[in-house]
Formats: sequence, structure tokens, C-alpha cells
Amino acid sequence: MNRIIKKLLSNTTSLIGLILLFVFVIIAIFAPIIAPPLFSDPYQIPRMSWDTEPQPPGFPISDDMIFVYESMGEPITRDKAIFGTAQGGYDIFYGLIWGTRTAFRIGIVTVVFSMLIGVILGSIAAYFGGWLDELLMRITDIFLSIPFLVAAMVLTTILGRGLDKVMIALVFFGWMGYARVIRGSILCAKEDVYVMAARALGVKDYSIIVRHLLPNTIFPVMVQASMNIGSMVITAAALSFLGVGAPLGYADWGQMVSFARNWIIGSPGNAGEYWYAVFFPGIFIVLFVLSWNLVGDTLRDIMDPRLRGEL
Amino acid sequence: MVNDNKTKILQVKDLKTYFFTENGIVKAVDGVDFEIYQGETLGLVGESGCGKSVTAFSIVKLLDYPGKTVGGQVFFRGEDLLKKTEKKMRQIRGKEISLIFQEPMTSLNPVFTIGFQITEALTVHYKISKSKAQEKAVQLLEKVGIPIPEQRINEYPHQLSGGMRQRAMIAMALACDPTLLIADEPTTSLDVTIQAQILELMKTLLKEFNSSLIMITHDLGVIAEIADRIAVMYAGKIVEYTDTRSIFYNPLHPYTYGLLTSIPRLDLDIEKLDSIPGLVPDPLHFPEGCKFHPRCPFATAKCRKEEPVLKEVENKHMVRCWHFEKVKEEAKKIAFTGRLAVSE
Repeated sequence: MNRIIKKLLSNTTSLIGLILLFVFVIIAIFAPIIAPPLFSDPYQIPRMSWDTEPQPPGFPISDDMIFVYESMGEPITRDKAIFGTAQGGYDIFYGLIWGTRTAFRIGIVTVVFSMLIGVILGSIAAYFGGWLDELLMRITDIFLSIPFLVAAMVLTTILGRGLDKVMIALVFFGWMGYARVIRGSILCAKEDVYVMAARALGVKDYSIIVRHLLPNTIFPVMVQASMNIGSMVITAAALSFLGVGAPLGYADWGQMVSFARNWIIGSPGNAGEYWYAVFFPGIFIVLFVLSWNLVGDTLRDIMDPRLRGEL
Repeated sequence: MVNDNKTKILQVKDLKTYFFTENGIVKAVDGVDFEIYQGETLGLVGESGCGKSVTAFSIVKLLDYPGKTVGGQVFFRGEDLLKKTEKKMRQIRGKEISLIFQEPMTSLNPVFTIGFQITEALTVHYKISKSKAQEKAVQLLEKVGIPIPEQRINEYPHQLSGGMRQRAMIAMALACDPTLLIADEPTTSLDVTIQAQILELMKTLLKEFNSSLIMITHDLGVIAEIADRIAVMYAGKIVEYTDTRSIFYNPLHPYTYGLLTSIPRLDLDIEKLDSIPGLVPDPLHFPEGCKFHPRCPFATAKCRKEEPVLKEVENKHMVRCWHFEKVKEEAKKIAFTGRLAVSE
């Protein structure tokens, strides 16, 4: 374990990834200080004006809004939108800061649950083999043949709008990769004599899988998981962009990009007029995904004995 | 040396284990009978692929698809193991019958300390506290001759040498005081000096625990050291079955005879070492008649047609050959009067 951490820190690319990740963690933890919430629900992005058009960075809160907040009895803690506002006057800066928490939640929750499902099914299939393996793997194949984004979209639509629904859909259609990876590693590891030795000691199948096989085989799955956190966030953003994700006004990067949908190209003669509406949410997503990929890549390099130079 | 007055621990009757492969049925074990008494060591000898390991795994029912035991009985303390459920078998494995494997390099889990693996053997079968199990593990390691066991117990398999690992394996196998140990070529991957140490250790421990042992090996030198009786296997069947002395001084099967003449000897001045011609027959296409006849110098027309049965031809000396008398005479000629590797 120490060796892994040392390698992660000594490698430039992974160091960049780790630093980026660290920055995001800091943003997520200190979100209430960086962007103090205006409402009791901090994930609701405050509006700075009633404008339909995006407003440039530094846009001050409009008099209408001051009046609204004052009449609601909410103290006004923000007087201008540092990154500008999206359509509807939503504060981009606030949405991105609190959206970091959402991104971590989507990424980690979906990956943990889909990994759990995949590992359980994959290890059962590999360990017991025979018809059970056949059955479970054919189910996996069926799930793999369904286009992921479309399926997730349909399921989210059926379940209804909301971040939790998005996560359910992502888990439901996202576990197959883990099942395949763990099945492969366990098929290979279960031939090792120590598994036979454990069976010869009278250890139960369940304990053999959990205690003997998984510690020896879980790492490739962890690598895949760390890479998938990024792609899960992208998919969730895509769902939000398509309008089946988070509810309106919820602090979510996908939603921020979705707000920019009509403003990607500015007015004639001034194409970049609303650049901030796309740029800031976009750069957050890109850096977040990139950081996970860099870390995942390095983890893979560390664990691959052919690249490790130890074989 | 046959212990008539001792209790019979294990009796294998007409055990048949076949592998159902895509190319056909492989009769890996085809009608094997033997028994073993308390405190006794039985040697199971034969070339690679003759079915000795499959016999062992069939006894504890650890064979995976496509292998299947299709016939026979395995009486362990009077109860047929082949009729037992997997759950019952799990309680027997490791507690009553333990296995020691060939490869100490791979038979220990690389991610756990040896202490963890020995305590696991204990906690699987007994309800004892972790500290008690730890204590017992230290004692066991001490017993198998591992120095500074308190320290070794926290080491990982890769930190131990091959001999140490095999000692740890033996400690694991002995953790629950088993009645029967099955050792599948436990010394094959060790170098000769370590082999001798491990054999010596096993001998003392067997005496101490009063356990029985089935020793599977292809090494006659090893078997001479440790076994009371020997069953020689060829192509899934026992071809000769008697006490150790008789195997070495009075071989009656041409295969045993061939094995003995292919051991290098210090007391004879031979230019070229004998070997048994040919290879173990393809298990998918065993020859008709006696399975050894294509390689047998004594083979006659009868051997090609009729398969001999295993029968007692001398006192407690079973052999599966039509021409055992000729073999006996031939063996005498070569004069096995010199001292063989038997240490008695």
C-alpha cells in the first residue's frame, strides 16, 4: 500500500491528477464558505436576476432580486455573480461550487453500487462456473448490448426526474464491466493452489470468495472504478443536459451546461458573446474527469506487472 | 508390518473417478482399493498422470468439473464419504482429513500472513477466540520447527523460504489434529536436504499425533523413508500393493521392477541407467488387455488380450500381473541383495 502511494506521488501525471482531485475535494468540503448559501436548501442555485439571457462575469444582483430576498427574510450574502449568470439569472459560480459535491456524490455512489453488483455477480459466476456462470454472463451480455445512454435516459424518464433516479439508472446499466473484469481475474486465481488448500481446510465457499479470492483479484476492478467515476459524472451531466437529470435550479454541472444549451453560439457577429455560460461548467467537468482518469491510469500502471518492469 | 490389530481409518473400495471431457471419458481412477490403519503411512506411487492425485482428491471430494467419482465407496471410520453432503464434507476436511500440497510456493495465500492462515484453519472448525487461536498457531509453528514463531507468524508467505513454507503448510494441516493426512508430493519442489528434513519432521509429527498418512509421490526414495505399505499405481489402477520391504526386495510387477531398476544405485557399477521404455498410455485410448503390456518386457499374447486382476499371490502381497513369477525371478537375478534406499 505504501508503495502504491509512493508511486502515485512520484509520477508527474498522477501527481497532477491527485492535486486536481485534492482541489475538488477542498471545494466540496468548503462549499458553504466559498459560496454561502442563500436558502435553507444549499443545493438550490440562487438567481441573481430574472433575465432570460446569460449575464457576463461580475454581474451584480438586480434590485428585483434584492427585493425578493428581503421580502423572504433571507440575508443577502452575494452581491455579484463572479462567473456570470446562466439563463434565468442562475449564479454560475454558486452552481459550480455546490455542483462539486453533487459530482462527487454521483461519481462515488454510482460507482460503488455498480461495482458491488458487478463484483457479486462476477465472482459468483466465476467461482461456481457451469450453468450459473453461463446464465449470469448471458444476462451481462444482454445488458451490455443495450446502448447505455439511451437505456439510462429511458429508465430515468420512467422513474421520474431527480438526481437519485439518475443514479439508479446509472447503476442499473453500469455494473457489467466490473462483473466481466472480476470474473476474468477470479477464473484465473481460483486455479491457484491456495484456493484448493482453503477448500481442503473446510473453508466455506463464501469465505473463500470474500477472504481469499477477492483480496487477490479486486485491484483491476478498483482501477476501472476510479476511471469510471469520471465517466459516470459525464453521463449524469449528459442526462441533465438532455433534460432528464437534476430538477431545475439544482446545483449540478450537467444542469449548468444544460442552461447554456441555447447560448453556445452568441449573437450574429459576436459568436463568443456568452462564452462564460459554457466555459466554466465545461472546464469543471473536464478537469474533474481528467483528474480521475490520471489517477486511474497510474493505478493501472502500478498494478500491471508487465508495465511495472518486475516480470 | 500390516497392522491387523489396529483400527481401520480409511477403506477405499473400487473407487472410480472419470473425467468427462470433450474428447471422451478419461478413466483417471478405475477401480482402486486400499485401506489404511491408525498411525500407518501408505505410499501411493506412480508416474505423472497415473491417477494418484485424483485418487486423493476423490477421497475428500474436492474434484471439480469435469471430474466425477462415478463408483465405489470411501469408508472413513465406517462412514461412506461419497454419500456425505458438501456441508458434512466441509466439517471433515481440515478437521478429520487434511491435505498437504505439492507447491508450498502457491498453496499459501500471498495476501495473508501465515499466522492468519493457520488461525483460519482453527477458527473454521472450532469456536475459539482469536488470541487463543494465535497462541495455538505459535505452538504449531514451533512444533514444525520454525524458529522464532512469534515473529514468523506475522510474516507473509513471500518472506519465507520454500522449506519454511512447507513447514507452515504442515502446521496448517495439523492444526485441527486430523486423523488422516493426505500429502500430495509434499517434497517434490524442495531441494534434497530440505526434503529429508521435511520427511523427518512428518515422521515425528505423525507419531506424536498418531495420525495416518497417505503419501503421494513418484519418488521411491521418499516413499522408502516414510511408508509402511505401498500401493503402486499405473494407468488408474493399483498394480502392486504390499509392505514397503516387499516392494523393494521382492517386486512382483514388471512396472515396479522397472521403477526400481531405474533408480541410480551406488552399490552397482552400471554404465547406463535403465528406464522403462515408452510413455504412460493416452488415458483416452488405453491399450486392451493389461495396460502395461506395450512397455512390458515380459508381455505375452495373453497380456494383450486379457487384463489381469489384482490378487494376493504371496502373504499380503497383491499384484496385477499374469507373469509375476517371471518378474520375481528376474528381480532376483539382478540381485536386489545389496542395500537399497530403504532405511530401516
